[in-house]
Amino acid sequence: MSRPVRNVVIVGRDAAAWLTALGLKRAFGRQGVNVTVLELPSMVRSADVLVGLPTLEGLHRLLGLDTDDMLAATAGAYALGQQFANWSQARPPFVHAYDTHGAPIHRIDFLQHWLKARSEGMNVPLEEFSLGAAAAKHGRFVVHGDATSGFSKARAGYHLDASAYIRLVRQKAIELSVQRQAGTLGEVVRSDSGIVSVSLAGGEPLAADLFVDASGVDAVLIGKVLEQPLESWSPWFGCDRVLVTSGPKLNPLPAMSRISGFKAGWIGMFPLRDRTPVVAAYDSRRISDAEMLQSASVLCGMRLGDAFVAPCEPGMRSAPWTGNCVAIGEAAVVLEPLDAASLHMIHVGLSHLITLFPVSAEAMLEAEPFNTSMQNHARNLRDFQIVHYRLNGRLDEPFWDRARETPPPPELAAQLDLFAARGAVALYDDETFQEENWASVLIGHGLIPRGYDPQVDTLAPDELIAAFQRMLGFIASTVRDMPSVEAQLELFAPLPSNASF
Amino acid sequence: MSAQRIRDIVIVGGGTAGWMAAAALAKVMGTQAYTITLVESEAIGTVGVGEATIPMITMFNNVLGIDENEFVRETNATFKLGIEFAGWRREGHSYFHPFGQFGVDMDGVNFNHYWLRWMLSGGSNDYGRFNAETEAARQRRFGRTGHGPQTSLPNINYAFQFDASLYAAYLRRFSEKRGARRIEGQIVKVDRNGQTGLIERLTLKDGQTVQGQLFIDCSGFRGLLIEETLQAGYEDWSHWLPVNRAAAVPCAKVEEPIPYTRSTAREAGWQWRIPLQHRTGNGYVFCDSFISEDEATRLLMSRLDGEAQAEPRILRFVTGRRRKSWVGNCIALGLASGFMEPLESTSIHLVQVGISKLLAMFPKGGFNPLITDRYNAEMEADYVNIRDFLIAHYKVTEREDTPFWRYCKNMDIPDSLATRLEIFRTRGEAMVVQHELFKEQSWFAVLAGQGLMPVDYHPVADLLSEDELKLRLAKIRTGIQDRVSGLPTHQAFLDSCARAPAA
Amino acid sequence: MPAPLKVVIVGGGTSGWMSAAALVAGLPPGLCEVRLVESDEIGIVGVGEATLPQIKDFNDHIGVDEADFMRQTQATFKLGIEFVDWGFKGSSYIHPFGVHGKPLGGVPFYQYWAKARLNGRVDDLGDYSLPIVASRQNRFAFPSTDEDGLSSNFAYAYHFDAHLYARFLRGFAEARGLRRTEGRIVDVTLKPEDGHIASIRLESGEVIAGDLFIDCSGFRSLLMGQALGVGYEDWTPWLPCDRAYAVPCERAGALTPYTRSTAREAGWQWRIPLQHRTGNGYVYSSRFISDDEAAATLLANLDGKALDDPRPLRFQAGRRETSWSRNCIAIGLASGFLEPLESTSIYLIQVAITNLLKLLPGRAIDPALVSEFNRLIDVEYGRVRDFLILHYHLNGRDDAPLWRYCREMPVPDSLTSRMALFEHRGHIAKYKDGLFQPPSWLAVFVGQGLLPAGYDPLVDNVLQEHILRELDQFRADVAQTVEAMRDHGGFVADFCAAPANRPLSSRVAS
Repeated sequence: MSRPVRNVVIVGRDAAAWLTALGLKRAFGRQGVNVTVLELPSMVRSADVLVGLPTLEGLHRLLGLDTDDMLAATAGAYALGQQFANWSQARPPFVHAYDTHGAPIHRIDFLQHWLKARSEGMNVPLEEFSLGAAAAKHGRFVVHGDATSGFSKARAGYHLDASAYIRLVRQKAIELSVQRQAGTLGEVVRSDSGIVSVSLAGGEPLAADLFVDASGVDAVLIGKVLEQPLESWSPWFGCDRVLVTSGPKLNPLPAMSRISGFKAGWIGMFPLRDRTPVVAAYDSRRISDAEMLQSASVLCGMRLGDAFVAPCEPGMRSAPWTGNCVAIGEAAVVLEPLDAASLHMIHVGLSHLITLFPVSAEAMLEAEPFNTSMQNHARNLRDFQIVHYRLNGRLDEPFWDRARETPPPPELAAQLDLFAARGAVALYDDETFQEENWASVLIGHGLIPRGYDPQVDTLAPDELIAAFQRMLGFIASTVRDMPSVEAQLELFAPLPSNASF
Repeated sequence: MSAQRIRDIVIVGGGTAGWMAAAALAKVMGTQAYTITLVESEAIGTVGVGEATIPMITMFNNVLGIDENEFVRETNATFKLGIEFAGWRREGHSYFHPFGQFGVDMDGVNFNHYWLRWMLSGGSNDYGRFNAETEAARQRRFGRTGHGPQTSLPNINYAFQFDASLYAAYLRRFSEKRGARRIEGQIVKVDRNGQTGLIERLTLKDGQTVQGQLFIDCSGFRGLLIEETLQAGYEDWSHWLPVNRAAAVPCAKVEEPIPYTRSTAREAGWQWRIPLQHRTGNGYVFCDSFISEDEATRLLMSRLDGEAQAEPRILRFVTGRRRKSWVGNCIALGLASGFMEPLESTSIHLVQVGISKLLAMFPKGGFNPLITDRYNAEMEADYVNIRDFLIAHYKVTEREDTPFWRYCKNMDIPDSLATRLEIFRTRGEAMVVQHELFKEQSWFAVLAGQGLMPVDYHPVADLLSEDELKLRLAKIRTGIQDRVSGLPTHQAFLDSCARAPAA
Repeated sequence: MPAPLKVVIVGGGTSGWMSAAALVAGLPPGLCEVRLVESDEIGIVGVGEATLPQIKDFNDHIGVDEADFMRQTQATFKLGIEFVDWGFKGSSYIHPFGVHGKPLGGVPFYQYWAKARLNGRVDDLGDYSLPIVASRQNRFAFPSTDEDGLSSNFAYAYHFDAHLYARFLRGFAEARGLRRTEGRIVDVTLKPEDGHIASIRLESGEVIAGDLFIDCSGFRSLLMGQALGVGYEDWTPWLPCDRAYAVPCERAGALTPYTRSTAREAGWQWRIPLQHRTGNGYVYSSRFISDDEAAATLLANLDGKALDDPRPLRFQAGRRETSWSRNCIAIGLASGFLEPLESTSIYLIQVAITNLLKLLPGRAIDPALVSEFNRLIDVEYGRVRDFLILHYHLNGRDDAPLWRYCREMPVPDSLTSRMALFEHRGHIAKYKDGLFQPPSWLAVFVGQGLLPAGYDPLVDNVLQEHILRELDQFRADVAQTVEAMRDHGGFVADFCAAPANRPLSSRVAS
């Protein structure tokens, strides 16, 4: 048998580096695999926030992390979805909740019935039929039981303070004997087949069987040394800069992110329990950094603290695993900080790396399926993000007109066509979001299908109305009866208290 | 025995005790069939400073038919949600003994057991999260929630903090309006019937005499009638509750009044802080075996959060109770019937209890020893019960930093209390019986707050699944947050009372 | 309610009657007005036919009673397919409906087996599969509903007489309003404005108009291929078999709960056990053997007396370029052909029907629905094709030109990668749509001799003794559970014996 992988060196920083380190060490540490992190200077600022999908809970389980502990340490909060406002001049805000809508009636998808009812004059928005959306709007946490089973799959995503989160992950990794050296990058030695060694400035070269590039957009290995090109997605994303800042904490604590369009991009609030991180993506050709900060304050209606800006260029490497080097995080894929994409791509990368951990240091056939999966994931997420821009309704604003008029990638175009025809969602391999998520966003942005499943026409209208009313009634009474996200957090993920009693 | 009909009731001494008695008698017995005469001497002066109460006082006010907003205005009252005990368990620590319920009793078992199960399996040890009054106190909010239309939100139980002398004056106006008569003067002689021994007549300094068939002794510690005349005797409890002095002084208010009393443990006793609308009442309750009066007074003055608004006064007392509160035709109320430090705001309550038992057992003519003995037994039980509760505050402490606390931590305690503490430690229950003033949740709040954490709990609490338990806890917490966030600030509520018209 | 959609199904057989049954019984009444046109003269291809577990969903969806249907179609149960002589002469493995073993620590069972094997413990992967062990002993039971149990982790399908199934569905559909017309189609009229099919004309002169036409006319593809001119993509280079002889024979021996496919010199022979007789066929490539030799081979390899002359069939492996064009949907042979090596024919019909129902158009047909339908069907055909190619390509036989050809032919890159990755570390990628899931690929890889040289490193987290214990325990559990199962023949006799059959022999010494 060929030489097994015994030494892994992760070159990078922050969440990508430490989550990967902890994940690999937990999965393979018992077998004697050594994991070392060459930690480059952090790119995380005090204002940064990490946004997690409900699947983050799965990542925590994989890593042996307790989600409640993470929430407590990061003043973290639950987000049952994301609300989109001002992406159109005429349409009201909508919530993309992590939940389905209604329940099938006579085995036909609820959306079809809703479309028919809507065509006949009913104007209850689709999201009213989502328990998750109702909970999000009322600051409630959904606890599932017999009553909700079969009707709702609502789950909560997360907002987490980035610095505190990373600190905690790093601590856990080091407790598990992940080695750490901190410094700036020194020299990288490569051969035809891959990376030979990496050293920090002033340090000894470190060789390894497998290298992980977790250095973010710097992509010090995969980009700078192995010269894997970055396929640019800029045509579809008009924003080229991201600003991050922080405002005071919101009372009461919202249970969702809130993303608002404005003339040159979008601005989002991702509330934590001790402050409100604000993230804005914008087109620097249309608005300067300083103007952006001013606008942010006005748009959020709060006084904001120090702001940090950085460029943002969405794109991906077609071969994030090249030779003996695997890129995870933004070294592999860069997306806009929308739809909780960034942390999710780290999760996806790590999870695939564990499943496809190379059995041989000499021949890494695993790279191919890894790259295929990562591409699929990244493109599907990219397409989900493009939807917000493609379907925007802010007319006569140059930034938004351009976004709306740019032809989408072909798979997305087909998906949009299909949904526009019939409200059906085509899904491909390796999707992050399911039918209900696409439906939320497409309908929310106003893409109302022309037609609907003709089977729906045969149902008696009274029966349908009665079913709708039952669902709405169920949602209203269930939400009232659920605990608040604040109570849930306070009891099970409490912050250190400084009250006197 | 030939019974002489009771027609003339004489109350000796004013202050809260005297005027509460007068008001209650005037309202319930009335002044058609009876005369009610209260004899007090302004010269002697009344003790009251800032005084705190417990929710039972609203029942008393209701019996009198008093409009609460008017009462709050007239007595400069603020609302009280409970008492903060700072430094009692150890320095730097603080817990709250609230009114009201903890959580919701489920399946016939006290909520405390569910909380214990959760806490013992790793949950937070902050049980205050499950009590609406504690949350409201933390947020300085208050409102009357009533017990009106069906709502699943928890109600807010409350009492008052007021100027006792204004309360007395208010009740005096109330009583006089209903025909009670006040005589000013010092009593110099008490005449008893030669055969029956019953008190018949009082003679005042200026020569006036006052006749009566029923006498209520509200004359304070001296117990002019009950002790000086009838020698009922006094049971001394100093060995269990050693404090025997209080230095009291009002100070300026420096912030909006908070809706609770604070009791801060000190080197030789404890300090009260009672916020009123117009100023704050303060006092240092101490034991002179462990600190001198001068030193205690000096320390008190140095620990005020606002400027003192008067000279500090010293009150001297012996903790204990009159062996009999009712002897012959004399019933002692207030300080004349016993004294326990105001640690749990029980003084006015004991007056109220004494009055209500008297009314319940009010004699028509003649004094039946069976009734009198019954009254005395019930009062004794009430006093003992409160005494034990107070002792627990001292005994169950981690403090050993001063001689006073070392004494308290190591002192012997009544068997009844020792048993109760041990049962509580093993299964989280205080085994409260019906007549007791302090219910399970009060014992729980204080014992757990002082650091006596039970090691186990009722088995019924184990029957729920863990998920179901967490869900119920979260829903209780949600109800509390929803209730409290809907309340105005304490000050805003006080302002609205001030504006409310009299009923 | 709008006027019903007029649907005209051209052709009977399984594809026509499954479509008809689904349209009248799987949709709310009144939605469609369905007519089926078939000519008894033309004849139906099906002989004994094997299926996949998905067919039960189809039957359930339209409301077919299982025992009833089995009785009427002489059906038996199927737990998998036995492949004899495919890897090399003398080899035999079963591709089961189920997972081998149970996952440990989130890693598929077979990885542990692979490691144990590399460490010297060589045994049959099939011992860890309940359907395989049951098949070898000719036993059967329904999977239990207890989700965690060993006895719930498998599925089953049927062998039946496809002709009888079609007839059964015909009765079913006609009882629910389907209108059948007998006759041959002589002409198809298209609408000039959009090229949609307007109507068909029968030999009798009757003209039948419709909104939607379903081409179940078999290889001839009267509508899709001939009238609309949609081309055919040829897959013969990968799947060289282009003919078959089919013959029924008398039953002999125990009633087996599995299909058998035996590799022959120039193709393979199927054996499909029905209640009343056994169906057989030799699928072969005319490049590598003559028709006469093929017929002779078939007849020489029956386990009972032939009950008829062998019937010849000709076909071309491949796929109609689109399955839905304009207002015409091709289902069954009209939409493509893949040899029945993995019993996929009826599945592909079912999948087309299911997707059609999901994307059922109104009178105006939205092109987006058509695109999506075609995309999904493309995926389905592609997956099956690649899996079939694997069977041929991954052979170790050096004794006949067909096999040498298949071993040396270029195959799709995706297939080459899958094989390489499996050999490297036993990894099998999942995909979202289409057959076959990793357990199926595993069965064929291992069964035909492709064994992993490495294994998932996560396996090393479990102590070797623990792994061996788990393997032993599982194998014993399987054996014990199968021991308690009824013999297949007896089970069928009790559950769904076809009326007017010879009595089935129950326990036959195996």
